[in-house]
Amino acid sequence: MHIPDGFLDTKVWTTTTIAGAGALAYALKKTKLTISRKEVPKIALIGAFIFAAQMINFPIAGATSGHFLGGTLASILFGPFIGFIMMSCVLIVQAFVFQDGGITVLGANMLCTGLVGCTVGYVLYNSGMRLTQGRWHNIVTPITTFVAAWCSIVTASACVSLLLAWSGTVPLGAALTAMVGWHSLIGIGEGLITTMIISYLAERKTVLNPVEVSE
Amino acid sequence: MRVISFARRHKKWIVLGFVTLIIAVLISPFASSHPDGLQRVAEDHGFIEEADSGFTWSPISNYEVNIPLPREWRVALSGAIGLLIMGVLLLIIGKLLVKKRDSSV
Repeated sequence: MHIPDGFLDTKVWTTTTIAGAGALAYALKKTKLTISRKEVPKIALIGAFIFAAQMINFPIAGATSGHFLGGTLASILFGPFIGFIMMSCVLIVQAFVFQDGGITVLGANMLCTGLVGCTVGYVLYNSGMRLTQGRWHNIVTPITTFVAAWCSIVTASACVSLLLAWSGTVPLGAALTAMVGWHSLIGIGEGLITTMIISYLAERKTVLNPVEVSE
Repeated sequence: MRVISFARRHKKWIVLGFVTLIIAVLISPFASSHPDGLQRVAEDHGFIEEADSGFTWSPISNYEVNIPLPREWRVALSGAIGLLIMGVLLLIIGKLLVKKRDSSV
C-alpha cells in the first residue's frame, strides 16, 4: 500500500503534488538528453518487473507484511532520473488503474518512494563502488547493493512519517518510530531482492574486448 | 570509473522477463494479505479511518479483475494486465524521449 487519499492534509498534498510534478518534468528533461535507444526495452522490462514484484506482499513479524519498492534497483541500472520516471509510472498506473495509493497524494508517493528511494539508493551504491574502485567486487557489489536498498526503504518511510506529521495526522515521534521500525524489517526484503537481480545482471567489465569497454 | 556493467547479452533479460511473468501471474494470487507497513502503523495509531478514496472509478480495484472467476484467477489476470500496461507505457515514453534526443541534436 502507498499513502492513500485522506492521510495528508490539503497544504501537504498540494505542495507535494507541485514538487512531484516539477521533479518529474526535470527528470524527463534530463533523460531526453542521455537516454540510449538500446536501453528502452530494458527500462520497460524492469518497470514491468517492479510492478509485478510490488504485488507480492511478503509476511514479516506481527501479522504485518511488506513489499518490494524497486527505486534502488531502477536507479542502479538506469541512473536516478530514469529510475524516478519508472517509479512514477508504476505509481501512476497503480493509482489510476488499480486504486492502490491515492490520487491527491500521488506526488507525495512519487517523492517518497521515487525521488528519495532512487536518490538514496543510487548515491549509496555509487559511493560504495567508487570507494572500492572495483576491488573485491564479488563481495563489495552485493553488500553495497543490499545496504543501498535497505537505506532507501528506511529513508523513504521516514519521509512518509514527516509528511504524516506535517499534516497533523499523527505526532512525528510516534510516526517515525513505527514507520522506521517496520520498514527496517521490510528493507531486508528490498535488499535481498535488489541484490539478487543486480548480482544476476552484473557483469565485470573486462579489457579483453575494447569495443565493449568503450561503450 | 564504472567497473560493473549490466548484462549486454539478451539471454539474461529474457530470463528476467519470464521471471516477471511468473511473479505477476502465478505468485501474485498467493501474496500475504496482512496489512503492510504503512497500513499497520495507521491501524496502530488510529488514523486508518482517515483513508478516503474519493476516487473509486479504477477499472481494476484492489488488483482483482471484476469478472465471475475465483479470486486467484482475477488477481492473476490483473497482474498480466498490469505488466502489459507498464511495458507499453514505458516503451512509449522511452521511444518519445529517444526521438526528442535525436531531433534536438
